[in-house]
Amino acid sequence: MKTEAVVRRYSRQVRSLVIGRRAQRAKLVVLGQHANEGLLAKAFIYFMLSIIAYLYLQPFFYMISTMLKGLADLLDPTVKWIPRTVDWNNLSRAFDGLKYPRSFFNSLLLAGGGSLLQVFVCAMTGFALARLQFPGKKLFFALVFLTFLIPPQVIMIPLFVTFSKLGWLNTPFVFLVPALFGQGIKSALFIIIFRQFFHSLPKALEEAAMIDGASMFRLFFRIMLPLASSACLVVFLFSFIWYWNESYLTSMFLSNDFTPLSNKLSNLEATIFGDNPSMAVMSQNPVTEGTKMAGAFLIVFPPLVLYMIAQRWFVQGIERTGLVD
Amino acid sequence: MNARAKGIAKFTYKLKSNGAGYLFMLPWMIGFAVFMAFPIGWSLYLTFQKVGLTGTGFKYKYIGLQNFKDALLKDNEFTIQLLVFLQQMIFMIPIIIIFSLCVSILLNQRFPGRFLFRAIFFLPVIFSTGQVLTELFQQGAGDVPFIAQYGIDTYVSDHFSASMAEPILNILGMMILILWSSGVQILIFIAGFQTISNSIYEAVRIDGASPWTSFWKITLPGIKPFIGLNLLYTMVDLFTFPFNPIMEQIKKNMFSITTGYGYASAIAWLYFLLIMILIGLIMLFLNSSNKAGRA
Repeated sequence: MKTEAVVRRYSRQVRSLVIGRRAQRAKLVVLGQHANEGLLAKAFIYFMLSIIAYLYLQPFFYMISTMLKGLADLLDPTVKWIPRTVDWNNLSRAFDGLKYPRSFFNSLLLAGGGSLLQVFVCAMTGFALARLQFPGKKLFFALVFLTFLIPPQVIMIPLFVTFSKLGWLNTPFVFLVPALFGQGIKSALFIIIFRQFFHSLPKALEEAAMIDGASMFRLFFRIMLPLASSACLVVFLFSFIWYWNESYLTSMFLSNDFTPLSNKLSNLEATIFGDNPSMAVMSQNPVTEGTKMAGAFLIVFPPLVLYMIAQRWFVQGIERTGLVD
Repeated sequence: MNARAKGIAKFTYKLKSNGAGYLFMLPWMIGFAVFMAFPIGWSLYLTFQKVGLTGTGFKYKYIGLQNFKDALLKDNEFTIQLLVFLQQMIFMIPIIIIFSLCVSILLNQRFPGRFLFRAIFFLPVIFSTGQVLTELFQQGAGDVPFIAQYGIDTYVSDHFSASMAEPILNILGMMILILWSSGVQILIFIAGFQTISNSIYEAVRIDGASPWTSFWKITLPGIKPFIGLNLLYTMVDLFTFPFNPIMEQIKKNMFSITTGYGYASAIAWLYFLLIMILIGLIMLFLNSSNKAGRA
C-alpha cells in the first residue's frame, strides 16, 4: 500500500513536470523568448501592418472601384466598393480622352530616353568624383549636392525663357538635353549613388588595369561600368519612374502638342465634352468621376507593371547601393 | 634645357592625370553651367527688374527691391499662401517622418511575408504623379475613413481656433496622400536599422533592457543621422508636392501682365530663402548628431 502511494505521488509529480514543461514551451511559442518574437508579437505585427496597408492603399482601391462604376452606381450612395455592374465604358472613354497611344509614346520617350542618358552621365560623374584625382573635386561634389537642394521653382523662369528662345518648348529636348548634361530630374541623387558605389570597389582593380596599359576610358567602359550594372539598373528604374511622374516641369515646358501622360488628366474633361459651358457645370457632378479615375489608372498602369516586374530592385536598391552610409 | 624638358614633362603628366578627371566631369560641368548656374544668376537678376514684354523681346527696368516689397506687403495672396504652406509643412514633415519610422520598425521585424508589405509601402512612389494625386484629393479619396466616422473633424473645429483648425482639417483631408510620400523614407530607415549591429541589442538584452528601453537608448540615437537625411529628403520632395501652392503662384504671375517674370522670380527666391533657412536648421541638427555620434 505504501509503495503504491509513493508511486502515485511521484507519477503525479512527473506529470505536473511534463505539463509544466509543455506549458512553458507553449508560452515560449506564443510569447517568444523576447518581446518581439513569438506568435503574439507576430499576430500584432500582421494586424497593425494589415490595417495600415489597407488605409494606405485605400485611394488606389477607390481608383479602381470608381473606374468600374457606371453612372447609376456612381450616383447610388449604397454602392461603396463593388459596383453592381462593371462598366468598361469609363476605360475606353478615358483611353480616347487621353489620346493614350500618343501620350504613352511621349511619356515613354521622355522617361526612357531621359533615364538612359541620366544613367550614363551620372555614372561618369560619379566615377570621376569617386576614383579620379583632380583639383576642385570637393568643390564639385558640394555643387552636386547643392543642385539637389535648389527648388526647381527658382530656375524655372530662366529655363522657360531660354527654351522658348531656342524653340524647344513642346519638344522632348527640354528634358533630354539637360539629362545629357547631368542635370535631369534628381540627377544629384543618382550621382551620389554612383559615387558611393564606385567608392566601395577595390583600388586594385584600376591599378591592375593601369599596369596592363588600359586608358582611363577603357577602364571605365570595360571594367567599371559592367561592374556597376546593378547600380545602373536601380538608377534607371528610379529615374524612369520619376520622369514618368513628373508633372510640374512638364506642365510648364510641354503644355501642348508634345504632352506626356502625366499632364493629360486635367484636360481630360475638355477633350471628352469639348468646351461646352453646360458641360463644365456637369464636371461638378460625379458623372465624370469614373472616367477621370479610369484616366488616372491608365496613367499609373505602365509604371505599375514595371514595378511588378522589377519590384526586387526597387525595394532593395536603396540599401544595396549604399546611399545611406 | 633639361629643366625645361622636365617642366614640360611634369606639366603634360599633370594635364593627363587631371585631364581624365575633368573630361569625365565635362558633361556635368557644362550642364551645371548652362542649366543651373546661369539660370540661378539670371533669376536673381530678374528679381530686381521689372520685365516688360515688347514686340522684339524683353524690356528690363531696374526697380531695386520693389518686387520683394510688393510680394511681402502688397500681394495679399502670396504671403498667405506661403504661410499656409509653412503651416502645412510643419504638420506634414513630422507626420511623414514618424509614420515612416513606425512602419519601418514594424517592417524590420522578422516574419514571413514582410517583402510583400515592403512592396506595398513602396508602391505609392510608383504612381504618385501630380495630377492623379490632385484628382484623388478632389474626389475625397485621400482622407482616413474613420475621421468623419468618429467625429474627429468636428472635435478639431470645436477645440481649436479657426486659423488652427483649418490647416489641421486640410491635412486630415489628404492624410493618406501625405503618407504616400513616405515610401523612400521607409526604405532609408530600414537601411539605417541595418547599420546598428545585432550584438549591441543582445548585450543590452542580457543586461535586462526591455525592447522599449532598447528602442529609446539604442535604436533612436543610432538612426539619428537617418532621421536628418529623411528630413532633408522630405523637404526636397515637397518642392514639387502637387499641393504646394507656390508652384501655382509662380506660374500665374509669370504670365500675368501686371507682374511678369521679375515678380515671379522674386516669389521663387523668397520661397527659396524660406526653404534654405529650414534646410540650414536641419543641417545644424545633422551636424550636431554627427558630433554626438563621434564623441
